[in-house]
Parts: sequence; C-alpha cells; structure tokens
Amino acid sequence: MRETTMTPSSNDVATPTQATVEIEMTKNQLSDESSAVLSVRGLHKHFVLHNVDGRRVESLNGIDLDVRAGEHIALAGSSGAGKSTLLKCIYRTYLPSAGTVTLRSPIGPVELTGLADAKLAAIRGREFGYVSQFLRAEPRRGALDIVARAGIARGMDKETATEAAAVSLRRLHLDESLWDVFASVLSGGEKQRVNLAAGTISPPQLLLLDEPVSALDPANREAALALIADLTATGVAVLAVFHDLDAMDRLASRVVVMRAGRIIESGPPDQVLHHLEGVAR
Amino acid sequence: MSSTLADLVRAPVDPGILDEHAKREVRRAILTAVCVPGYQVPFGSREMPVARGWGSGGLQITLAIVGVDDIVKVIDQGDDEGVNAVNLRRLVTNTTGAVETTEVDEATVIQTRHRIPEDPLSADQTLVLQVPVPEPLRGVERNMAALAQMHAEADYARMWVSLYEDKVRNGVITKSTGYPCLVGGRYVIATTPIPRWDIPRLHQAPFLSLFGAGRERKIYAIPPDTDVEPLTFDDVPFEVERTPGASCSLCQATEAYLVEIPPSSIGAADGRWICSDTAWCRRRRSEDNQS
Amino acid sequence: MTSLAIAKCAVTDHTTTEHPSASGPGQTVLRVERLGKIFGDQNPAAVAHTGPDAGTEKSPDGNSVVAAWDVSFDVAAGEAFGVIGESGSGKSTVMRAIAGDHSSTAGSVWMQRRDGSTVDLLTMTASERRALRVDELSVVYQDAAEGLDLGVTAGGNIADRLTAAGWRNFGQIRERAAELLGRTEVPLERMDDLVRTFSGGMRQRVQLARALANRPPIVLLDEPTTGLDASVAAGVLDLIRSLLEELGIAAVVVSHDFAVIEMLTTRCMVMQHGRVVEQGLTDQLFEDPQAPYTQRLVAAARA
Repeated sequence: MRETTMTPSSNDVATPTQATVEIEMTKNQLSDESSAVLSVRGLHKHFVLHNVDGRRVESLNGIDLDVRAGEHIALAGSSGAGKSTLLKCIYRTYLPSAGTVTLRSPIGPVELTGLADAKLAAIRGREFGYVSQFLRAEPRRGALDIVARAGIARGMDKETATEAAAVSLRRLHLDESLWDVFASVLSGGEKQRVNLAAGTISPPQLLLLDEPVSALDPANREAALALIADLTATGVAVLAVFHDLDAMDRLASRVVVMRAGRIIESGPPDQVLHHLEGVAR
Repeated sequence: MSSTLADLVRAPVDPGILDEHAKREVRRAILTAVCVPGYQVPFGSREMPVARGWGSGGLQITLAIVGVDDIVKVIDQGDDEGVNAVNLRRLVTNTTGAVETTEVDEATVIQTRHRIPEDPLSADQTLVLQVPVPEPLRGVERNMAALAQMHAEADYARMWVSLYEDKVRNGVITKSTGYPCLVGGRYVIATTPIPRWDIPRLHQAPFLSLFGAGRERKIYAIPPDTDVEPLTFDDVPFEVERTPGASCSLCQATEAYLVEIPPSSIGAADGRWICSDTAWCRRRRSEDNQS
Repeated sequence: MTSLAIAKCAVTDHTTTEHPSASGPGQTVLRVERLGKIFGDQNPAAVAHTGPDAGTEKSPDGNSVVAAWDVSFDVAAGEAFGVIGESGSGKSTVMRAIAGDHSSTAGSVWMQRRDGSTVDLLTMTASERRALRVDELSVVYQDAAEGLDLGVTAGGNIADRLTAAGWRNFGQIRERAAELLGRTEVPLERMDDLVRTFSGGMRQRVQLARALANRPPIVLLDEPTTGLDASVAAGVLDLIRSLLEELGIAAVVVSHDFAVIEMLTTRCMVMQHGRVVEQGLTDQLFEDPQAPYTQRLVAAARA
C-alpha cells in the first residue's frame, strides 16, 4: 500500500538520489503493512438533504490515509474541508458512501464500514475511541466517576481506574473540589478536560480527537497538549483535528491538509504548516 | 327396627327439600371437590328454606349426603342450642329421617358455622362447614376472570402482598377469620367459617371436611390426610388466638377456644370467658362431677 | 463496496443471523423477527395498503389497523435498543407484543431464557408468558398505574414480585425491597406509604424498583419519562441509565423523545405507520439519518 504523496522537502541539505528514495519507499511500504493501525481507502461521503430540496452535498471525495502506532496525524484545512467528517466516517457516526476503513484488531483487520451495528458498538471504545469537543455524559455524575468508568469500561479494575482518573484530572489541572460535583454544572473548559481525560484513560490503540482543547485557556491547553503528546509516546495511533497551528506543530508527526473533501498535501509539520500560514481557515 | 311392606308404603313420598336430581348434582360437585382438594367447584345452588347467607350451602351438602342411618349434629358458634343451629338440625332430621344429637362422638355428620368441635373427629365422621365467602382472594381482586386465572396458575402473589401489608401496617398478621390456607400444596382456600384456633386441626385430619357456600354457589373439600398449611412467612410463625390467663368460668378449661360474654349473663359467676364448644364444656363438667 | 447508505435503509440488519444462544456479553438475548400485529379484521390484504408509502396504518375499508408489520431487530446482553416514532408509529404495539400484553398476528420473538435455551414467546401460552414476567422479562409502563398497584405500599409492590418468585421470608423481603428502593432513590421512610400518595416521578422509581426485583435479564421501557416534569424526568432518566449500565440488563426503550433514546441506547430504529423506516447506531441515526422521514424527525427534534 502506498503512502500518500509526500511533498518534497525543502529543508534538506541534499536531495536524495532516486535509488535512495526508492529504498526509503519500500521500507515505508513494509512498515506500513505491519504497523498501520488504521487504513482508509477511497473513502467517499455525500449527504442527501431530503428535508431541504433533495440536493446532494459531497463531503469526502476519495480519502486514502494510514495511521500507524505511535503516529500523531493532524488534519488541517479550512472549515468545510471535511476534517470532522472524516473522523466521524471512521467512527461511523457518519455512514461512508463508498470506500473502506480497516482497523487492526486482536482478531485480525476489521473492515468497519461493512461491520454489523452491534459488533461496531462493541468495539467502539475498546479498540478505538473518539473524543469530541463536547462532554456527553450523564449530567448528574461527577468528573472522577465519569473518567474512572471510562477506564473500567476498558478493562481496568475499579481501584486502578479511580487512581488513574485522579492522576489524569490532576494533570489537566481540574481542581479536586470539582471531582464530585455534577458534570452538568462544570464550565465548558472543565467539561472538555473531563472529556479528554475520559477519552484517554487506558487508551485504545487508536484515538480520534475532534478539537479536544478548543475551549481551554492557554494554561490548561498546555497541560492537555502534554497529555496528548504522551499518547503517541506510548504507542497510541492518533488522528486529530485541531484548529490551532501551534498545537499541530507540537504534536503532529505528520500533517495532512484537506480541501473540498480531498487530501491535497501531506508531510512533516515543519514543511506543511508554514504553507498554511497564509491559507484562510 | 323391622320393616314391613306396610312400613315401606307409609315411607314419605315427599322428596324433602332437595329432590334426587339436586342431591345428585351436589354429590357430583362434592366428588369433584374431593378429587381436587381446595378447588372451588361451582354447583347449581338451590333455593333453601333458609335465606342466603344463613347456611344454605352447608345445608345443601348435608341434605345431599345424609340418609336414615345418619346422626346429625349441628352447631353454630360451637353451640348446639343456638336458634339457627336448632332450626337447621330440625330441618335436616324432619326431611331426611336422620337422627339428631348433640354429642360429637355419636354424630356421623357435623354441620357447623364458625367452629370445629374440640373433640377430635374420626375417619368415620364428616364435617360440613357453612361458608359465607369461599373466595380467599376476594379482598384483593374483584374480577371473576382474573380470580379464575389466579387459581388456575397458582398465582397467589396478591394474597402474599395482603399478608405483607397486614404485617407492615399492624406488626403482626391480623387476619382472624377466613385465614388463607394452602391445601395439598396447590389451592389456597378461605377458611372463613372457622377461627385460627381451629386451623391446625385441619392439617392431616382423619376426617373429611366439606365446605358449602350457597350464595356464592361453590363447594370445596379437604379430604382426609391432606396437608393444610396456613399461609405465613417463614419467619412469622402462625399463631392462634390466645388470651393469657383466661379460662372457662364454667369448666376452668384453658386449652379450648374461649368466647367472651358480658358479665351480666346468666351462668357467668365472676369470670368473663366460657367455652365456645358448649357440648364439650358440659361433658367436662359432668365428668368432673362424676369423678 | 455497495453504498452503505442504501443498505442502512433496509428494514432488517441481516448480518447477524445467529439465534440467541449461550449467554455472555455480546450474545443476542432477544431477537424479533418480522413481527406483525393487525387490529380488527385479520385481513392480510390490508398490509399492502398501509405503511409509510400509504401514509397510514389503517386499511382502506377502515376495518383493520396494521399497527406493526415486518418489524425485526435484535438486542444483545447488556445492550439498550431504542424504538423511536411518533404516535401511530407502532412502537408501543411492538413493545406490548414482546411483553405479551396482547397477541401478535405474525412473526417470532426469540428470547434467551435463564437456562440458556431459546424460545419463541409468541408460541407460548398466556400463562407461560405471565410466568416469564416474574423474573425473566420486566416491563416499565408510561403510566405507573399500569405497572403498579396504587392501593399497595411501595414495599408491597416489590414484595408482590418477590413472593411471586417464591420468596417466603418476611425479613429478607423487607431487606431486598429497601435495597431496591434505595437504589432507585425512593426515600426509605416512604417504603410503607401507599403508592397512590406518590408523585409521578416517585411512582416511576417504584415501578423501576419493582421491575428489577428479581433481576430480570431483559427490561422493556415504554416512554418511561413521558408525562413527568422536565427536571423530574431528567433524574429518572439518569437513574435508568445508571441502572442499565450497572446491572448489565438488556433493554428495549420505546420513546418519541430523542433525548431519551440518545441518552439510553447504543442502537435504535425509527418506525412510521407501523413499519421500520431505518435502523442503526444511535449516534449515526441522529447525526447522519438516511431516510427522508428520519431526517425530518431529527431536524424537528433539534429545532
């Protein structure tokens, strides 16, 4: 399976020879097949707005993407480019119109788009997770409880989960006095931190992050980004959407730029991001 | 006594209150009831010279089963001499040729409202009980179809709930008359005629008990040697009525069912309790006198 | 790769074809197959003239109502499955058909029993189905009066189920009733009050406690919070969700309220005029509805 196109490096001192490039690409191919946690091929998504006038809105026009263990891939691009749509199609909150989404699993590769609902529901959370901007938990549950339960759902015992939850919340600077109040009374930023902690406790092999720090002020953002950075350090594959160039720069091993439902560019952050400086978001 | 042809000719042609067809129907109902202990068998209850609610069911059973060789005792509240008991007894003996008695050990059939005699009955004797309300679930369910279904499916949850509620509200189960009992491990019956005191006597009894409800048109039975268990929780023992320190002011008995009488009644010296079973009490006193 | 969108509009999800079998999380415990109920004249021809395309559940001659037809879905152990629809959609009909509150015209309802065997509920006698309702299948009704005896105390309503299951020890019955009422957040000092004296929200809690008394593996909930004040409903909903999660009970939740379905279920189906219009993961149905009707419903709910 070929990697998506790489932009030529403009920072390298010497341009690699053709032979070197070919060897590099073969190596990449081999490591692709052995460590791609997620493989997206030819993913299309359109919506039919029956309620409006029956029009068809094209949202993804053929996405090919791999995410490997320990890799943090940042999706960049203006609004409407299809970044969140891609995440949701992978998680199957949106039904892909065509294409395949293959996830590595203990029993072998699983093709998510054709999987029965019940089976998909079972592996969600266990094999791959989705962290959205918003906290969707029982309004009358406390933060510690929410995070601990997420850990328990992933196989931790109650004590370990509670301990890990406490560590995580402390790390994200959520005041301990807020750990037992009903989540419904927390502020947007507090809820987002709880959400992030819950999504990342005892993390599955793949995490989809959809603007997980958008509501955080700079200080809390720092801590959150550090936590996310740790994920890849422990081998988790991360596919993330940030609107924040700085976050992408810090965290991403690769940045994938989307426009009008297609990938137009892909490469290391220092190469790709400075192209985007001037691009309207 | 010898019977001549003339005697036979003079035998009453009057069929009595129940004709043979009516008797047959009641007997068939009785047989069904005996075959399915505790099951309420519907029967075509006839018009009786006693009003509904005054023992017409018990009367029909007695009339159906007694003949000239039978000796009948009738008690009301344990008393042979109560007005109703006397009337019923005369009705039975006058129309069937059976003989009357007040002595338990002489009787073949004992018809009763509200008591089982204190003396133990034998396998040759039949107890006929007058039942006002045969349905044990009446307090908890009104719908006939639902009742039939509950009995058919042995679904007595509502009964248990009423016992639970009783105990919760009052600290003890206060049901006195009509205490529900499980017969033969299958059907729950109402023991409406008899007090709790008499219920243990039904369990594995050697005699046959027949229950007749004329107004409600039902007959049910407890055959001899059948288990009869009052419904109660495992941790709430079934208790019989007791008044500590009370004894019969006539015969001084303490281990009998006693009834309270106003102090001004004739015969009560200073005590306020006397035996409910008058025949039993009288015999005790005459035995005491003889000894 | 066929268009998944069209596949999702199909009535049934045929990819799981196994019948309910040996227990274990993820195993199917309830499987409804082509369930149908016609009220009135049992006229099979009425089916063709009813449904979403016809815009009605009533037959043209007015003598039959095809309240539900060709309804299929399955529920795994510990899973909550939602049934959404407006009035006349047939959602309550489906629930009552599974509960056994009325007979069915067609189809099967396979249920896994405690002993691991599977049975088609629709082939059982009425009394066998009533026996099931003691400890294998519980129902929580929209109107608490349907699921409770208002003239009995809160504890008594629970004792009803316990004694039906054979409990005979008064002390233990009290203890279990108190435990259940505590879990459903009914104040213990009200345990001996008649349910008639309880508010709507409290009645629902007692109904829940009673439904869970004998730890059934499957619970059906019909509009469990409809008719309750918003704040009260939120609390009851919360309670239901945590109970389902904690006890690992399989549930079918019927509601017209999207918030209820969203909070409680992982998969659901949309019904209209007695037919299933769409079925899928709850979040997918709400965020990417395929069928025009579903899109209309979701848009209205979001408004």
